[in-house]
Amino acid sequence: METTTTPTVPSSAFGAVAQIQYLDETNAQFHEENGFISLRATVLNTETNQMEEKEWERVFLHAAFPFDMPNAYISVLDKDQKEIGMIRELSACEKETQEILQRELARKYYAPRITRILSVKERYGFSYWNVDLTDAKDFSFTVQDTYRSMLKVTHTHIFVNDVDGNRFEIPDVEALDRASYKKIELYL
Amino acid sequence: MNTAHKVQIPERKAFLREQIIKILPALNGKSFQMVLSSNLNVADCTRQTGYVCMVDDVLYVIEAEAEKAHYPLKDLTEFHANSGIGEVSLECRHKDRLLVLCRGDMSHQSEYATIAKRLNHYRETGLWDPQYDKTYNRYCPKCGRKYRHGSNICMHCVDKKKMFARIWEIASPYKWTLFLSILLFLVITGLNMINPYINRVLVDDYITPHAVGAFSGFCMVILSMLLLHLAIKGISIFRGMALISAGNKIIVRLREMVFDKVQMLSISKISKRTAGEIMQRVTGDTAEIQNFVVYRLSDIIEQSLIFVGISIMLFVTDWKLALMIILPIPLMSLSFRLFWNYINRIYHRQWVIGAKANTILHDIFSGIRVVKAFGMEHFEMEKYDRVTYEESEISARNEKFYSILNPVVNFFMQSGEFFLLFYVGNAILHGDMTLGEMTQFSTYVSMLYSGPVFLIANLQRQMTRLFTSVVKVFDLLDEEVDISDSTDAKNIKIEGNISFDNVHFGYDDATEVLKGINLDIKPGEFIGIVGKSGAGKSTLINLVMRLYDVEEGAIRIDGEDIRSISQECLRSQIGVVLQETFLFTGSIYDNIAYAKPDATREEIIAASKIAGAHTFIMKLPDSYNTKVGERGHTLSGGERQRISIARALLHDPRILILDEATASLDTETEKQIQDALQQLSKNRTTLAIAHRLSTLRNATRLIVIDKGKIAEVGTHEELIRMQGIYYNLVMAQRQMSKMTHDNDRDAKKPAVS
Repeated sequence: METTTTPTVPSSAFGAVAQIQYLDETNAQFHEENGFISLRATVLNTETNQMEEKEWERVFLHAAFPFDMPNAYISVLDKDQKEIGMIRELSACEKETQEILQRELARKYYAPRITRILSVKERYGFSYWNVDLTDAKDFSFTVQDTYRSMLKVTHTHIFVNDVDGNRFEIPDVEALDRASYKKIELYL
Repeated sequence: MNTAHKVQIPERKAFLREQIIKILPALNGKSFQMVLSSNLNVADCTRQTGYVCMVDDVLYVIEAEAEKAHYPLKDLTEFHANSGIGEVSLECRHKDRLLVLCRGDMSHQSEYATIAKRLNHYRETGLWDPQYDKTYNRYCPKCGRKYRHGSNICMHCVDKKKMFARIWEIASPYKWTLFLSILLFLVITGLNMINPYINRVLVDDYITPHAVGAFSGFCMVILSMLLLHLAIKGISIFRGMALISAGNKIIVRLREMVFDKVQMLSISKISKRTAGEIMQRVTGDTAEIQNFVVYRLSDIIEQSLIFVGISIMLFVTDWKLALMIILPIPLMSLSFRLFWNYINRIYHRQWVIGAKANTILHDIFSGIRVVKAFGMEHFEMEKYDRVTYEESEISARNEKFYSILNPVVNFFMQSGEFFLLFYVGNAILHGDMTLGEMTQFSTYVSMLYSGPVFLIANLQRQMTRLFTSVVKVFDLLDEEVDISDSTDAKNIKIEGNISFDNVHFGYDDATEVLKGINLDIKPGEFIGIVGKSGAGKSTLINLVMRLYDVEEGAIRIDGEDIRSISQECLRSQIGVVLQETFLFTGSIYDNIAYAKPDATREEIIAASKIAGAHTFIMKLPDSYNTKVGERGHTLSGGERQRISIARALLHDPRILILDEATASLDTETEKQIQDALQQLSKNRTTLAIAHRLSTLRNATRLIVIDKGKIAEVGTHEELIRMQGIYYNLVMAQRQMSKMTHDNDRDAKKPAVS
């Protein structure tokens, strides 16, 4: 899941009008405790129109482009899901911050990768999968309406959504072994 | 790995308890207040089985086959489930710090949300709500696989025999017609079998060089062949008529059943499925079942009869020859099936790309205004060209492949006949067989190869298709009607008093939309409901209409819990105008008269006049008879809205609900309608949601909803004095209208609530 392009600073008049608060090393510090991220940041108070330093006991992250830019344009939200600001590019952050944020993102967007497909059985509009995952062997899950449950990021990069809402990633279907590929070829 | 899922409540609870006792033997024999499982590690989100249980008001957290920690319940507060995109965690506050108790993949989502709710409830009240056992009972008891959301049939373990029984249940009223057609089948099959025999007689006795039969006999044979054909055709007509009449009755009955069921179900059950899916079930799947009962079933019977009949005839005539013919049949069926599977595979690709091309077309045509407005015609044309080109490439490749392979396969399938010819020819030369016998034989063989072979090859595919449809249809038919009238449902005449008593509600287990609403509305009050988008305003009125049932608490109308009032009685006395107005296909008159078909023309005109619709309707060439809806006259958003207001008024409801009902109107028209409504609303209770606050200036009381709770209640003046949320909203809107002296049509487009 590499970032394809480096985001650039918006040059149009848009940026100023939209007033998106970008968080970086200069105005924000992230801390992790007990698995929760807290934030101390200097942001614009829209009511007083003043820059203020504030603290949040817990913040949430949400990627703007989770499929093609998972590590850029990360929204930082407070507990009411109100946006505090955005992080333009994780790699531009300090190493420690980067690790904290990356860990949180990996957790939130937990999607084990499928390394091998053992079987896909189609039955009455459902398909029953048995696969090897990066973190489990011979794992089974159920997919409804198989064709439509395959989320295609590109021709070869897909996510499979199961009935529970879990996601399983296949970063490159062509990199799968021949037998695995044949089992899902029909749905691609 | 998945074993924890594969057991159902209460077996699942017992199973989890056993697992926990294995790790913590000290808990053996104690009573477990709660158990749940997790399958992800809390720290780094890798797969790992874990458990959380509560014994004697102490929560034990078990991870990696060992106790990780335990916490007395009194130290824990604010339980909640936090859902990410691919995981969910059960979190709480431990003394002053945040704490993750356990984490699981998305299959745990509703379980954690429910448990969090119950734990909070237990902490506050000391009572354990038994309801929580029901909510995640979603595993098939047989195979442990998860049910589809909202379904109670496990597609994996569907009992085929039972399904046949269900089909029969529907077909049984027509059993005599079906029986008759099967009988006719038998007759036709029998007659078909005689035909080759007559052929043989004809050849052997009359048209060989050494024929012995007389000319009159020859005529008789020809005549009997003619009569036989006539009889077959005649009976076929009868059979066809019998089948079609039975088939039509079956499909009508099935569609009625499905349609009635859909109408009975609550919005929450229906909205789990898309309109397209339900349409497919009402039309497509029922047609598939009809198709099977009428055509496939008779096909199967016919072919089986032919198969048995011919086999007997062949064995009687020459058992060696018969074996030669019958033994290869399974092999041929298999190879034919493989061939078809392959063909299907390659054509599937063509179908997919064809569907893609269609989607693009549909997008372009339904969004033609956008396409043209942005000058993207060329872009769209290229996109479409690319896909059609791709489609033609695949199609050409497939056709080529098919045109090569098909003759080859056919050749192999027919090559058996050469062997037969060789064998039979030899027999004739040696005088073991007559020419007529050969004719009879080869006719039987071709009958056998053209029918049963194909049937066996296709049978499984057809059965799969049938069962898919049957399961889907019965899944819907078996759906429990969740909002149903109690047996002693009352019919009352509504006065208009509405009271909310600690109402809690969420559309799913994970999120609560309304969190304890308490409100008492007196008859005749005009209540304005204000709040941000997503605050729960529309949810509140959905509950009054009982489109959903409350989760906790109660809504009472005139002191009666709405769950004890019959739905028909309730809804017939509530009038609703929604922001998304829907006009049915038909005339404007039909649309206004929808809820009161016996309304007089005068009443309709009066209602339209009050709704501000009369003037524009009379400007239309066909006035009230103007066709609207699909393929009808196009009305503007405001016009449609006025028609639906007229519809609601004509209904003369005791309770009038306006959900952004006048949002698409200009302020002038809105004011007119408001004033008329006020005249009318004197003795009826009105609930109105509006973003444009001027809409609510006639309200007797305003309610501000914020984050699922009532934040402020009072008259306009009272709320202004409070200087709270309402005050800020008013100020913001005033500023806005000051800035744009224009009509506030442009100033504020209300958001959908």
